[in-house]
Amino acid sequence: MLFLQLLADGLISGMAVGVVAISFSLVYATTRVFHVAHAGLYTLGGYIAWYATERGLALGLACVLAMAGAAAVGGLIQQQLYARLERSKASPLVMLIASLGALAILQNLIAIAFTPNILSFSNSWRLETFAIGPVTLSYAQIVLAIACLIAFFWLLWFTQTTRHGRRIRAVASNPLLAEITRLRPATVSIQVMMIASGLVAIPGVLVGLDQAMQPYTGTLVLLTATIAMIAGGIGSLTGAFIVSIVLSVLQTLSLAVMSGRWAIAATFGLFIVFILIKPEGLFRKR
Amino acid sequence: MNFWLSYIIVAEIFSIAALSTNLLVGVIGIFSVSQAAIMGVGAYTVALLTLGHVLPFAAALVLAALICSVLNILLALPSLRVAGDYFVVTSFGSQLVATALFINWSSLTGGASGLTAIPSAEVFGFPLDESSQFLLLSTILLAATSMSYWLLMRSPFGRTIDAIRQDEVSVVAAGKDVLRAKLSVSAVSGAYAGVAGGLYAAYFSFIDPTAFDINVSILILTMLVVGGARTLLGSIMGPFLLWALPQLLNQIDIPSTAVGPLRQLIFGILLVAFMLFRPQGIAGRRLG
Repeated sequence: MLFLQLLADGLISGMAVGVVAISFSLVYATTRVFHVAHAGLYTLGGYIAWYATERGLALGLACVLAMAGAAAVGGLIQQQLYARLERSKASPLVMLIASLGALAILQNLIAIAFTPNILSFSNSWRLETFAIGPVTLSYAQIVLAIACLIAFFWLLWFTQTTRHGRRIRAVASNPLLAEITRLRPATVSIQVMMIASGLVAIPGVLVGLDQAMQPYTGTLVLLTATIAMIAGGIGSLTGAFIVSIVLSVLQTLSLAVMSGRWAIAATFGLFIVFILIKPEGLFRKR
Repeated sequence: MNFWLSYIIVAEIFSIAALSTNLLVGVIGIFSVSQAAIMGVGAYTVALLTLGHVLPFAAALVLAALICSVLNILLALPSLRVAGDYFVVTSFGSQLVATALFINWSSLTGGASGLTAIPSAEVFGFPLDESSQFLLLSTILLAATSMSYWLLMRSPFGRTIDAIRQDEVSVVAAGKDVLRAKLSVSAVSGAYAGVAGGLYAAYFSFIDPTAFDINVSILILTMLVVGGARTLLGSIMGPFLLWALPQLLNQIDIPSTAVGPLRQLIFGILLVAFMLFRPQGIAGRRLG
């Protein structure tokens, strides 16, 4: 049945968007930078893993390598770009334009190195499918769903219960007080960027495995993720994750009645209406 | 000869677009990566009206400016309701939706292959199909938009908007209508973008969705940032400097698939470098 199939596809791609949304949300809540270059790190992860598997590395190892690579670049962006701008008291607009520049650099370096054409992984098993009742899923989708759920619950556990996580939340809620109490917000910000960038590489790799990759597709994924973050209420990881899934399910279900491009326009239209009515989001908490 | 004329004409068209972005990003401090979308609406409006012989070029250009003006107000509205960062999302979104419309509404826009054989410009029956004649038109229009920008910024109204950017609360407290001021600036900005788009369509006589996609929006933003926001000189200097870059890249022998990404890469590097080392641009004043 088409409905159930679309529902399942939507749920799984929603989890991928959800991981993008929660990692973006973590950065945004802690550093207050609207980090659009996050989309570039998503893409970077996918291409690192593709390159590694083409060189004969197992997918699991390639994924770890992609996470490490994205985390390193993310940390570098924080240390060399955002932290410098913050020291020079740059306005949010300046930060944003710099982040946009970083996004353009990442995406186009990838496009130059790998050409702007569509790339897909050559693993033989990624397209093999199996059926659960009326729903047919590929192995790649199963791996994607499990990995994204693990990433979500890990981040929840990490920020809620661990010592490091509490430090991050302290910096997020009051950077000045955190500075005074010697939590060293600058170091915490770099750690946050590294964690978020490592996490965003997971859907970057696995969505690439499931479908295919292009250097510029990350922008649209990030746009959906930021919509989910805002609608879910900034600062609420669970809200961002759930709204991501709901949005993706709606988008996928709408494919039954309209073409993909219109579905994006419809999502966005809904968002504008939503933001005008309820700007604080659905699950707001600090 | 023709090469230089073409370079100047395109740079002038982008100067008008950069002035449009300048009003939003520099003057009222609304981030925008959707000015190419507005410009595209202007271009498609002029193209369709002149292709269908509905209106002559001059009238079509005026109508395009009006439509874009209204559209820009509509797109700026969310930014007045929600805090700054949220508007980034609506701006990105507007651009992507516009591109989707240009591609998918193929009965009107010709889809991905675009519109061809758009009639060249003529004003009151006087044809402007030579580059040298078109140069006159684009120069006059750039002069007119620059003049209006300069007059706007010097007027008491201009001082009000400058004050809004610096301290919005005080301006509200002084009893000024901040909302109306911002909407007026958006309207003027939209009209500029519409004019730029209409000129683009008539000059190239061919438009397609890639001419007005997110990369073009980023190009216009880069032009503004490099030239210097909040100044007239910067909005003109940026396009002239940056439009030279694609021409230079054409001289280098690189694979054709790498030309576009290389150009975008350089724009990205310029954005980051200017934000780090000279956020006010070459000619500009402090941003934000």
